[in-house]
Amino acid sequence: MPDTQALVNDFLNQLKKRKIEGSQATAKQTAELLRSVISQTRVPYTNQAGALIDSVKAVGERLIAANPVELAVGNIVRRVLHIIREEDVSLTTAAMAGLNLSAVSDDEDDADRDDRPVLSAAAVAAASRSTLRPPSLQTLLEDVPDSAAVPHTSSSGGDSEGKSKSADKSSRSRKLKHDVIEAVNELIQDINTCHEQIAEQAVEHIHQNEVILTLGSSRTVLEFLCAAKEKKRSFRVFVAEGAPRYQGHLLAKELVARGLQTTLITDSAVFAMISRVNMVIVGAHAVMANGGVIAPVGLNMVALAAQKHAVPFVVLAGSHKLCPLYPHNPEVLLNELRSPSELLDFGEFSDCMDFGSGNGAPLLHVVNPTFDYVPPKLVSLFITDTGGHNPSYMYRLIADYYSADDLVVQRRPTSGN
Amino acid sequence: MWWRSPSFILDREQQQQNDSVPPNPESLFLSSPPPSMADSLQNPKSNISAYYQTRAAHHAVVTSDWLAQAQAAVGSHTDDEESSGIDGRAAATDEDGGGGGGKAFSVIDEFNSWRKQPDLAEAVAAIFALAAVIRASQATTMMELEIELKKASDSLKSWDTTSISLTAGCDLFMRYVTRTSALEYEDFNSAKSRLIERAEKFGEISCKARRIIAMLSQDFIFDGCTILVHGFSRVVLEVLKTAAQNKKLFRVFCTEGRPDRTGLRLSNELAKLDVPVKLLIDSAVAYTMDEVDMVFVGADGVVESGGIINMMGTYQIALVAHSMNKPVYVAAESYKFARLYPLDQKDMGPALRPIDFGVPIPSKVEVETSARDYTPPQYLTLLFTDLGVLTPSVVSDELIQLYL
Repeated sequence: MPDTQALVNDFLNQLKKRKIEGSQATAKQTAELLRSVISQTRVPYTNQAGALIDSVKAVGERLIAANPVELAVGNIVRRVLHIIREEDVSLTTAAMAGLNLSAVSDDEDDADRDDRPVLSAAAVAAASRSTLRPPSLQTLLEDVPDSAAVPHTSSSGGDSEGKSKSADKSSRSRKLKHDVIEAVNELIQDINTCHEQIAEQAVEHIHQNEVILTLGSSRTVLEFLCAAKEKKRSFRVFVAEGAPRYQGHLLAKELVARGLQTTLITDSAVFAMISRVNMVIVGAHAVMANGGVIAPVGLNMVALAAQKHAVPFVVLAGSHKLCPLYPHNPEVLLNELRSPSELLDFGEFSDCMDFGSGNGAPLLHVVNPTFDYVPPKLVSLFITDTGGHNPSYMYRLIADYYSADDLVVQRRPTSGN
Repeated sequence: MWWRSPSFILDREQQQQNDSVPPNPESLFLSSPPPSMADSLQNPKSNISAYYQTRAAHHAVVTSDWLAQAQAAVGSHTDDEESSGIDGRAAATDEDGGGGGGKAFSVIDEFNSWRKQPDLAEAVAAIFALAAVIRASQATTMMELEIELKKASDSLKSWDTTSISLTAGCDLFMRYVTRTSALEYEDFNSAKSRLIERAEKFGEISCKARRIIAMLSQDFIFDGCTILVHGFSRVVLEVLKTAAQNKKLFRVFCTEGRPDRTGLRLSNELAKLDVPVKLLIDSAVAYTMDEVDMVFVGADGVVESGGIINMMGTYQIALVAHSMNKPVYVAAESYKFARLYPLDQKDMGPALRPIDFGVPIPSKVEVETSARDYTPPQYLTLLFTDLGVLTPSVVSDELIQLYL
């Protein structure tokens, strides 16, 4: 226990000080941290899933609060919670099916659901399976909405309690934890390989002699372009430098090193160059539930330019960047203001920053936001590790990755604290 | 002398009659069948859709005697239209005479009695009526019961073709009955009692749906925002009520909602909650839109494209909001999802309603009396439903999942 606590605190510090660059690294570290939290959690005999969920939630709340702008943290916390629920349900249905097949007198089963007439195993399995799924029209008339509407504890609590009476308790508890850790390992694997998965699709999208525009630097974009190059596509890349951090310079350098024809332009030249461009390919910081994109600053302008000239605007995003929340005033609430030193040299402008003049506040203010919000209607296509998707389809991916009960997890601590 | 109706549906109905009988009002009147059985089943005011009468009774300030007055004011042409209405309806009722409608027990009566309760949505009333069919049924197998239900739901649907949520509710329940879940019970009686139990719970489900929607939409209402609301919708009222209870500071603009003046009722309710309200005439929407932060509307039905069918005027409000980049939010329960795909405004049968212009309208002047319009999905931002916050394209996905 104490050593996970130390790990958690360490990670919290890093998040608070913004020491971790990039959502992929953050996602990976979050997943690894949660994995160790799960393995350290003592599980009681009854309601094991509930115990795991509670401990993950307790850590998750603090992580999210440490850096609410880094949405990848919240995404991974929710993914892990979803994994726990999923594994619990699959174990439950397996146990249930075993019970009904083997035992002729399924008295426990009856006692469990005495309010209903006798159900066949298939019905039980279907019912418990659908607790995980988001509510749909199909389940509207069935019992499911009731349990889905009630907070999480009841959904797993009652069911697993009934089961553990019959199934071998200790093995089952170890089985659940084991399965969950396996699944989290898979998740970490997915995060690691998402670049390759996305890059594999490059040849389908980049064609011979095309001109691609990108802004700033993103590892996903770099791999994507290089993958197309490796498949013997010859094309040109325009790189907008991405002020104020000028990461575009680094990207251009990398691309040239890999033998790609590269042109470096200023951000303000995007509109001038866009008419020559066949496709805009950019990375994202996060993708919201409505298909809107939180992206490095300057991309909204690029998206508008692309729309003006009917150039496809393609966003590459690993599945850990899919966020199940809807953006509310994202330009302000999901933005981060960085140090003004990236914009200007303190030595030169120190006299403008004089606090002694006038009413005590300097006349010069520097605002350096990190992110832009690109509304979904400006995005032509999302490429994730599972393939290409329309912005209006993002909700479907999100429904696959997250369970509806967990969406609010993060809202509670912010209002509570 | 034939009255040309503005709506093509009525024209078509009249044309069919033109084919069958000579266009002589008197002979037509005689030729209309004796209203013996049809009498109990048909609408008393066939000129006004049944759908609209419910709305008028539940939502509007106008009273039923006002309706009657308006009916009288519509004037001389009514009788031939009325007779055509009777004709069409009698044909429909004749067909289902053998089924649930023809017995001592009638679905439609049942439906109508449920419908009178002001807090009950139409789809809920329909499902209650179908549950009553199950209870009264003497069927001994699932198949028989299904056939009986099918007949009953068909007669319900044909009784009022203008109501979308009635059709959607019937379809949803029929789907539930035919779907595997009910067939998984080993014996028929338990399956039957389960169906009845679920149907009776549906009223609760619908109330819960409203609460879920209200909770989901709270994140979208921020302090200091101005909300434009069109028409009276129970869901929207619940949303605003919850927001007021959560101590959100917001202001509401209500459109007047001519001719039912539904906006008056909504503004009344909101004033009771101490929410600042401003009433607008319907034509002032574009004028005030720059002050508005978001538009909230309910829906009579959500169609497969993700668009909505709602009270007349929603479409133009959505257009104005879209052109000024304001979000348009729709609050609708998921049982209003209907398998329709209207391509334009005239694709649905119009629900007609009386309109009081205050002065007598010369008989040569046509009056557009349709009560609702279709708003295409590209003008809607998000739908708040009990299934979650959805983009319009999700609606078809949900419907496909259900009916595939």
